[in-house]
Amino acid sequence: MQMKTMSKLKFVFLFLMFFITVNEFSPQSTDPDEILEGVKEAFTKIEDYEVDIRVIIDVDFLKVPDSEAKLYFKQPNKIHVESEKFALLPRQGLDFSPLGLLSGKYTALYEQEDTIRNIPTSVVKIIPLGNDGDIILSTFWVDQSRNLIIRVESTKKPTGTFTIDFTYEKYDDYYELPSKMEFTFTVDRMMFPRGMDGQADDEDSNYKSDSKTGKVYITYTNYEVNQGLPDELFETENHESK
Amino acid sequence: MNTEEKIIEIKGLTKKFKDVKAVDELSLNVYKGDIFGFLGPNGAGKSTTIRMLLTLIRPNAGNIKLFGKNLNKERALILRDVGAIVEKPDFYNYLSAYKNLEILGRISGKEVSSNRIMEILETVGLKERRTSKVKTYSHGMKQRLGIAQALMHDPDLIILDEPTTGLDPQGMKEIRDLIIHLRDEKNKTIFLSSHLLSEVEQIANRMIIINKGKTVVEGYVQDLLNSTELKVTFEVDDLDSAKQLINQSRWDNKVESFSNNKLIFNLSSEEIAKLNKYFVDNDISVSAVIPTRSLEEYFLKITVDKV
Amino acid sequence: MMTGLIKIELYKIFKKWRTYIGFIAIGLLVAIIQTAMVFEGQKSLDFMTRNLQDSFLFVGNLLNGFFISYLILNMLAVHIPFLITLVAGDLLAGESTAGTYRILLTRPVSRMQVLTSKFIAGNIYTFSLILWLAIVSLGIGAILFGFGELIVIKSSTVIIFDRNDVLWRFLLAYGFAALGMSVVCSLAFFFSSLVENAIGPIVATMAVIIVFVIVSAINIEIFSSIKPYLFTNYILSWRLIFSDPINTSKLLNAVLILLGHIVLLYGVTAFIFKRKDILS
Repeated sequence: MQMKTMSKLKFVFLFLMFFITVNEFSPQSTDPDEILEGVKEAFTKIEDYEVDIRVIIDVDFLKVPDSEAKLYFKQPNKIHVESEKFALLPRQGLDFSPLGLLSGKYTALYEQEDTIRNIPTSVVKIIPLGNDGDIILSTFWVDQSRNLIIRVESTKKPTGTFTIDFTYEKYDDYYELPSKMEFTFTVDRMMFPRGMDGQADDEDSNYKSDSKTGKVYITYTNYEVNQGLPDELFETENHESK
Repeated sequence: MNTEEKIIEIKGLTKKFKDVKAVDELSLNVYKGDIFGFLGPNGAGKSTTIRMLLTLIRPNAGNIKLFGKNLNKERALILRDVGAIVEKPDFYNYLSAYKNLEILGRISGKEVSSNRIMEILETVGLKERRTSKVKTYSHGMKQRLGIAQALMHDPDLIILDEPTTGLDPQGMKEIRDLIIHLRDEKNKTIFLSSHLLSEVEQIANRMIIINKGKTVVEGYVQDLLNSTELKVTFEVDDLDSAKQLINQSRWDNKVESFSNNKLIFNLSSEEIAKLNKYFVDNDISVSAVIPTRSLEEYFLKITVDKV
Repeated sequence: MMTGLIKIELYKIFKKWRTYIGFIAIGLLVAIIQTAMVFEGQKSLDFMTRNLQDSFLFVGNLLNGFFISYLILNMLAVHIPFLITLVAGDLLAGESTAGTYRILLTRPVSRMQVLTSKFIAGNIYTFSLILWLAIVSLGIGAILFGFGELIVIKSSTVIIFDRNDVLWRFLLAYGFAALGMSVVCSLAFFFSSLVENAIGPIVATMAVIIVFVIVSAINIEIFSSIKPYLFTNYILSWRLIFSDPINTSKLLNAVLILLGHIVLLYGVTAFIFKRKDILS
């Protein structure tokens, strides 16, 4: 009798050990496609949303007041923006949608685990196949526990590499949507628009070197999710709402 | 000689343009109530002198006193009582005659009411055309407007530079009458610069002739004209006898020329009667004595002789 | 007396048809530019900002009354001076040509009073021309395009001003422009005292301005060292007002230099005029 109990216990213990061990050392998937599927699935929960955004631009050669606008999103990557005043919004950050990126053909590679802002993430590299689209390479830092992308780093032609850091919050106890987005990019001389005067008589130039990093911060508040936004809304031009 | 008030006192006035002396140590006096004739050929320095009197030009040397006051020091006070026309009267052509006078009236240092302006326009005969732009005016009309602007603030000294230029004989007479009226009724002093010697002779009581910036002669008109010689033509019946008689007499050097039955002498007014008596006493029959005072000749003579 | 004289001079200025050339010209020029903007404005704005638009999404319209008024202020750097010289160059020379010094300067008012009243009247004309420019630019701009954020593209910065942060800058800028044009007026006035004909001062002033502008624009070393001494340089300093932050010391410096020119030119003209023999 003692022998049988002992063996059972041993088995349970070993099983538990195994279980714990397995969970300890590989608590998440390392299959990149699986990871990405998780992300996609989480994202499809959201049909559409409208949200108030506040955009703060921190770029050396740009002096722009903080913008406030209303952003409308509908799957898979429809964006519409309305603002009372003029607003300057970073293209990449705004129309970033994992579904959009992942809708085409690509090769995904699992790289490693990484911790960002105290969040354990899995790093997946995505190489889009085919010649359409400007993205050459993207890297996702995925928080698998929530199936959310914490960071994206993409290399795009011709502008170069940019990084987006996301912070999420839970809305309605159900949806996890970005509350903050920090967008970092390389500022290229190419970005600089042509002047009207042609005369550099005002030397208030802070812009000395050729390449620097610029940042854009976007905060999202007052989400209204899955309200059933009509398609027509996204056919109108982004405009000032007045 | 004169204890009267000196209205204009010029001493040693000199003005040089580059190396040319336009006015050279000029001195003259004008007394209250004078109609003073200022004469000289073209380029004599009359215009320059007048411009200096009115502070348009700065003298290089000399002194000008008007109403006993130094012109440099009390310009504004002095010019309130001076009215002037300098050469051709020019106005703001794009404004009406009335408006021109109104503007000038406001800066004349005295109250010039609209009534006064109307009054003066009437005096010069421009009341009907007062709202017309000056650019539509004839030369004669501008001349009259010039007189209007010189008189409208009731100045005590009036400086007139060729005031009758461009006027018809009727107009000229009107101006002359006006000048005399100003002196006689209003006790004004008039400084009159003119080429028209007949005019000066008719109305001026004192005069000066200048040439090349210098005084040639100055004095009372009557005196100056009396002391000059006249060209007198004696028409005689017998030229040869007359000639013979004259050759032997003191009148010989007074002969200017002769022709036909005429002998022409240069005589003063007193001498005419004497020569006539001489002829008569010597049985030369004189049919006519014709004094022809050529004023231009006289003027030219004086200016050529003296300088 | 001065007020009276200034009124008289202003009356004389505004009774001449040539004075209205400036106002009409500006009205027409602004109207033409605004009309062109109605058709081509968005295109040129997009062209200017296309690089920026590659990376950034533009929401809202930058083609508004402020943008166009800014453009107009730039474009009229040579045109307006010419319109100013038309009147300023005639202030003294005109009296000479007309022969009216003889009735003006033989009156109890002093030469300094006459000169100063003309100088002030000329500047009043200058300011009213700039005021007119402001009204027409901003007015028509507001009606045709409304107001909005203003984008200013400088040599190494792009600034977008919030719409509530723009009007006061324009008011200052027009004020500064008026100051700059006052220098032009003073220069023409100075030339006007030297000659008997109004054409001379107009040509001379424009020649000076054009030469200065050309010298400033050429990037040769010798010219660069002369540049700070050319007043045309500082006339464009109104652009400093459309900066964030505003380089107040540089702006103040420009104001003082322009004021200095005005005072100097007035002083020299007064010196000449007081002593001048009037032969006309």
